[in-house]
Parts: sequence; structure tokens; C-alpha cells
Amino acid sequence: MRDIQPPSIIRGLLLAALAGLILPVAAGAAMSRGFNRLLEAVVRIDVREIEFEDGARRFTGGIGSGVIISADGLILTNAHVASPQAVEISVTLASLERVGAKLVGWDHWTDLAVLRLDLNEVRRRKLSFTSAEFGDTAELYSGQTVFAVGTPYGLTRTITRGIISNNNRPFADTQGVRGYETGLFNTWLQTDAAINPGNSGGPLVTEDGKVVGINSRAYIGAENLGFAIPADIAQRVSAELVRHGSITRSYLGLVPGVLQDLERFYALEANTGLLLNGVDPGSPAARAGLRAGDVVLTLNGRKLDGRFPEQLPPIQQAIASLPVGSPVALEVKRGSQTLAFTVQTEKLESRVGEEWAFEKWGLSVRQVTRAFARENQLADQSGVIVLGVQPGYPAAEAGLERGDIITKVGSVPVRELAGLKSIYESFAANPAPQLVEALRDRHISLYVIKP
Amino acid sequence: MRIFRVLFLLSALAALGAAAAPLPELFNARLKSVVGVEFFVQSEIDRQPVSVLGTVIDNQGTIILPGAAIQPGVAPAQLRDFKVYRPGSTVPANAEYLGQDAFTGWHFIRVEEKLRAELVPITAYPALAGDPPVSEEWWGIGLRNKDEDFMPYFLSSRVAMLMKLPQKTAILGSEVAGPGLPVFNAAGQFAGLALTSFGQNFLVFSHNQNGSPIMLVNVEESSAVMLADEVLPYLGRVPQSVSGRPIPWLGAYGLQPMDPEVAKLLRLENQSGVVLSDILDGSPADQAGLKDRDIVLALDGQTLPRLKPDHIVAGWFGQQILLRRPGDELTLSILRGTDRREVRVRLGDEPKLVREADRHYFERLGFTAREFLYADGLLHRVKPADLRGVAVHFVKPGGPVAAAGLRPDDWIREIDGTEIKTYADAIARLEAIEADKDRSEFVLLVSRGGETSVLRVKLI
Repeated sequence: MRDIQPPSIIRGLLLAALAGLILPVAAGAAMSRGFNRLLEAVVRIDVREIEFEDGARRFTGGIGSGVIISADGLILTNAHVASPQAVEISVTLASLERVGAKLVGWDHWTDLAVLRLDLNEVRRRKLSFTSAEFGDTAELYSGQTVFAVGTPYGLTRTITRGIISNNNRPFADTQGVRGYETGLFNTWLQTDAAINPGNSGGPLVTEDGKVVGINSRAYIGAENLGFAIPADIAQRVSAELVRHGSITRSYLGLVPGVLQDLERFYALEANTGLLLNGVDPGSPAARAGLRAGDVVLTLNGRKLDGRFPEQLPPIQQAIASLPVGSPVALEVKRGSQTLAFTVQTEKLESRVGEEWAFEKWGLSVRQVTRAFARENQLADQSGVIVLGVQPGYPAAEAGLERGDIITKVGSVPVRELAGLKSIYESFAANPAPQLVEALRDRHISLYVIKP
Repeated sequence: MRIFRVLFLLSALAALGAAAAPLPELFNARLKSVVGVEFFVQSEIDRQPVSVLGTVIDNQGTIILPGAAIQPGVAPAQLRDFKVYRPGSTVPANAEYLGQDAFTGWHFIRVEEKLRAELVPITAYPALAGDPPVSEEWWGIGLRNKDEDFMPYFLSSRVAMLMKLPQKTAILGSEVAGPGLPVFNAAGQFAGLALTSFGQNFLVFSHNQNGSPIMLVNVEESSAVMLADEVLPYLGRVPQSVSGRPIPWLGAYGLQPMDPEVAKLLRLENQSGVVLSDILDGSPADQAGLKDRDIVLALDGQTLPRLKPDHIVAGWFGQQILLRRPGDELTLSILRGTDRREVRVRLGDEPKLVREADRHYFERLGFTAREFLYADGLLHRVKPADLRGVAVHFVKPGGPVAAAGLRPDDWIREIDGTEIKTYADAIARLEAIEADKDRSEFVLLVSRGGETSVLRVKLI
């Protein structure tokens, strides 16, 4: 029998030949298995939501993509696809069946939102779905082939192919997600896989169907410059959204700049320090005495290195993840001095405040926030901003315009939206002309809203 | 009685003759009151020619130019080589810039002796008194461009309406004169001065535009004429210095009209008013105790006029201030909340203007630094007590500071990590950097829109 056995060298060759034949097939099978599973987990998301533009409360709609990430029906998508203003969310499964879903939580800073499928409906209708698996973002390399899956322009289950163009792209935008800030606390995956409107919220996956990112943005008009939130951040954020419905971050008010090439000027060793381009007026850092041009050397004893733009989001994230209200020790270089500061963190707030529409007035408004007041150099954060007026309605007839800040009605100062709501209620009950004081480009004008 | 009748007939004929003097003759005679003016605005890196029209106002060769002839912020030292051309002439005479009057906005120049004999001031003609009847026909002079030797041409139109803007202004059916040039009636009386023309709304239709609204402004001719009564009393406001000072200052910012609906709600029926949005720190208004949001209803007992459009009353109020002098006192009747009160204000001197500010151009660094003024403090929302540093007046495109991201109106607060206390301090530091050929970089701390940033400027 031994003779029948081929010599070991030949066996080796044969194995090699077989491997040569079989391995590509095996890889193809693995890819299609993983990929098929992934495809079963990608959904189309149709959202009906309230919008407070143009002086009215209106319903609008949008289409995005999403990926199911758990057997209990959690779906990961973009914050700019599904926000708290959504009133109806409908998810189209891979089977083309439509199922309702609810918003679990959203986080515009990372442009992520989590939905939950209506499992009762899924069971009742005996539908099925699969959940996708995450890949390891840390192992991604530039040039690696990736696929974007989603619903560009409503074209369900579209797959586009590209590579990771850059796996660590800083890309902050103060008004990137429906006017909300985004991208300050994370870097992005850049890909040349075609990403079009409607791809938002869909997964960026490897050849074996593992989710490595959530596609969210692209340069419109550019050729294939797409950006995705890395999966590790998506996992962390979604877990917290599931637990708390929102993400609480800490704020110090530091505005970092890039230290690159300035080390010599500040007499620093290379890879040391976080340069402050500025300090938000009225912020904890400003109150503690920090100022533009300071270089933060350590934060709670941890050395900082803000040499390159790519290094700033992780530092911002480190600050954001500190407990709200906790003291932070900063070692700061100012000129030739090294100073110690203790700064108490505050809760991070968005520039976008609560929105509302006063329909009889044809007026939609938004609360002025601390961040908005700071950006616009307002004296304080009181007042509401006019988002829009409906032509022919009392607010428009009075002369109010988008961007005006209402500060007073009659003799009652309007500090918060709630104040204006109660004034409106008494107007609705007993309509009478109202004298409105509003600020436009720092000019105070008076208007009369008549029934 | 026959002799009387003859006399009467003669005088009637004479009157008829005056009224019916042939327009070509009048036109040729009135050409002696108009000129084409050319000058250059010298900036850091270029020299822009400007061509405008002017009207002669006295026998000393004084000529007024429209306020729009020179951009605000241009320093008198930048205005070079004023040349005055008579219509159709190629031979210029030199002129000197005298300054801008704050009330009328006119720029004044004075032409050299040799041309004065050929000029006739606008005051030499009888003037139209009072309001003209609507539909009266007026005529005026237009001048072609310099490359056509400022050749004069005749324009005429009829008075369509009168408006107070706040000066009484006749709007004619079509263009009647070059902006800044006089307009006459059929008898040759001086009727008024053509203003810079107003914009007119049109729709544009083309193969790719379907009725898009646009506004057109005719820069060569105007159909708006400020009446002679509003011009003649102010011809004597020839600036005493090139700065145009003294300029009175109240220190209330953002004057907003009170519209009739608001007046009604405040139980101020048939009254007009101006809201003082912002009382500037340390200003005469502030010292007098005026507060943000005060509504001015009367000035020295005279109630504010009701003018249309509503915003004209704010212009009226501003002009009433400018008609006075620093040190003058005036009484404002104001409404604060529901209280009415009288406030006595002593006007001050207008803080230094951009055109008066010291500035210095740094060729190698590629920018002009300027004194940080009260107005810059307003822009950057800084209290007068905190006015430090220098303002960026000009940035040379492609220069080192432009590459670093510096922009005009930025506020430089630190140079190489040292806080700038005074203009002189900043200039000394920048001069040292400019002169140091071994210097390869310097660092600025700059504010813009409430945000600061550290800029590293690489020198080549």
C-alpha cells in the first residue's frame, strides 16, 4: 500500500496544485458568504419628519441607508438620516418588506443614530433579517479594497467598490449635520467607493462583508471623495446610545490649533503640547484664565501631542470623555513660564437650540444657545432666532425676517423659547397686536404682530 | 396810457424772451459750470484712475464731486493728481483736494488759477425756489468719458414726483444729467443737482434665464435731482481741513425707524421716532445718560418728521446731528419703556476715522498695519478701554501674510508672543522683522469675528 502512496514530494506538489485551484474558490465562497450575510443586513430607511423652516411646521421626507447590527433589531445609521424630529421611520429589509422602526438615540457629533426595528411587527409578519458583523478598524490599511452598500438616490441595495483612501482623516464641520456640529471628536475613513446622497448611514465593508465604517459624507461635485465613521467609534457610540439615548460629553472651551512648525517658536520639544488658537469666551477655560497662544503640555498628568491635525480629534475626545463637572489639571506653557490651571468641565452643548413654530403668526424659531451666542458675539444667550416666516402671515407682515433674534414681546423679555410659547398661548386665546423687539445685525428694531 | 401799454408790452416781451431763450444757447452757457475730473487712488500695489463729474460752486475755482466719487477709508494722501477738464477739452488744469463734508457727503476740490476765468459758478444763475410743479420739463448736461474728451450732451425729462430723502428730491421720468451735475428748467434757472442714480429693477430674459430679477444702476446719468433749495445753503461747507473736521458725534449706533404700526401700539399716533439700538461706551450719548433702546421722538422740541420709506427718518436724525458742531448741546425727547423724558446731550468729536488713521505698509511682509480705531473696536466688539493692537488694513495677494491666512480687518493682538499695546509698538516690531533679512518666520496672534488664531508667517 505504501507504494500506492505518492512520494511525499509529489504529494506536496499536488497539494500545492490543489491549493492553487481551490484557494481562490474558497476565498470567493468566504466572500460571498460574509457578503451575502451583510447584504441581508443592509436596509433602506425612509423618514418622515418635522421641519421648522419658512415659518411653519411642515413634514418632509428623506431616504437613507442603514445596517442591522443585532439580532434584536438595532440599526445603525447617520444622525443626518434619522433625528429626533423624525415622526415616522420605515425600514425596508433586504427581503423588500417594509417594517416600522423607532429612534433609540442620536449623536450629531459623530453623525450616528440608532434605530430599533418593530420586532412585534417582524414576528407577526414572520419576517426575517440578519445582523452584520463588525470588522477591526485598527487593521484597515490604505489601499485596502472596500465596498459601500446602500440606497443612493433611492436605488436600493447598490454596491460600489473602492479602496480605503485614507484611514485617519480629520474632517470637522461646525454645521455639517443639519446645522449641528460634527466631526470634532473623531477622524474619518476616506474612500473612493462611490458615495452618493442616500448612501448615508449604509455600511462600508471589507471583502468578507465585515462592517468597518458607516458612510456619511462626500464632497459633492468632487470625484469619489467619500467619508465614513470608523466602526470602532460607531460601536462605542451605538452602545452608549442604546444605554442612555444620548451621549454626554464634557466641555472646557479650548480651541486647539496645529502646533506643527511652531515648536521652535514656543521653545518646545517635538511632539509636545496642544496649542490653543483660542479659548471660547465665557467657557470654563476662559474663566480659569487660559488664553490664545497658550500651549497645554499635560491634561490630568497625561502628555498631549497636537502636532498634526489628525491628532486633535483624539485629544478632543479625551476631554469630552471626562466626567461632567470634574476638575481637570492643565499644565500650560505661556511664554517662558509654565503655569498650572484647574478647570472644571461643563456639559457640552450644541449651537442648535430647540425649534418651534407659531403657526398663527407664520413664524418658526429656534432657541439661542450658549454656543450660538458665542459664535455670533451676542451679549448673552437669551432670545430666540427666527428660522423663517410665512409670506402673508403676521410675522412676515410685521417685517420680521430669517436670522432676526426676538428679545422682547410687549414688556416681557424673551429669554427662552418657553417664554415665547406662553406669550403665544395668551395671544391665541385673546388675539391682540403684539409689540416685538428684535435684533438684526446688532440693530434693534420694533415690529407689530397683528392678529 | 399808450406809453404804458407799450411799456407793458415790452416788459411782457422781455419776460417771454427770457423764458423762451433758446435751449442751445442756455446749454452752451451752462457748460461753464460743469467739469470732468480725473484723479488716481494710489494703493499699496497699484494706482487706480477715477473719472467723475463736478460742478463749479464759486469764483475761487471750488468744485464739488459726489460723495460716491471716493471710497470711504481712502486716505487723502492716497488721492493723487487731480486734473480738471472742461467739456470737450483735452487740456487739463491741476486741482487740489480740499476734503469731504460730513453733512452733504460732497468732496471739494479747487482748480488752479488759470482755468478759473473760464468757469462760471452755479450760484451765478437764478435759482428755482420752492417745489417745482409735477410734469415741469427740466434739462441737464451729460459728459462722455475722458477718452471722448468729456464731450457734453443734452438731456431732458419731466418732473415725475417729489420725495423727501430726507432732502427734497425730484424724481424725473428718465435720466436728466450726469451724477453730480446741475439741472435747469426751461428758463435756465438752477433747479437742482443730479444725485448718484438709484437702482432700477428689471427682469432678464435669455435662453437660459427665464425672467430673473436684476437691479441696474446707471452710472453715467441720473434721474434723481436734489432741489436747489437743498443745495445752495450748503455750498459754503467747504472743509477747513482735508480731514473734513470738525465732525460732531453723538455715539448712538444702529438708528432704526419706528414704523407707524409700532407708533400706534405705543400710543404715539401720527408721531415719528428713531430707536437708538446701541449707545456706545463713553460716547456723548452715554455720558448724557441715553440707554440702548431709547426711542427719540423730538430734537430740540421739533418732533421727528414722518417720512417714507420709514428708514429715511433715521437718515434725517443723523443729518440733524451732522449739521451741528462738536460742543453744541441739544435736547432729545425720548421714550424709555413707558416713560417720556428729556435728555440734554453735548455733542463730542467723531473718533478718528479710517481715512485719518496712521498706517504703514510692509512690503516684505505683504500687508498694511493701521491704528486700531474706535470703529475697529465696534467691529470686534471690544470696549473702548480695551483698544489695543493694530488692524490689518491691506493684504498683498500672494504675499507672506496672505499665505499665512491674514485678512483685511483682522485684529493683530500679539507679535511673536508679545502683546501689542500701541500702534507705535507694533510698527517698531514689524519694522524690525521687515529689516532682519535673516528672519525666516514670525508669529501673529490674530482675532477675527470673536475667534483668535495663531498664524505663522514664513518669510522668503
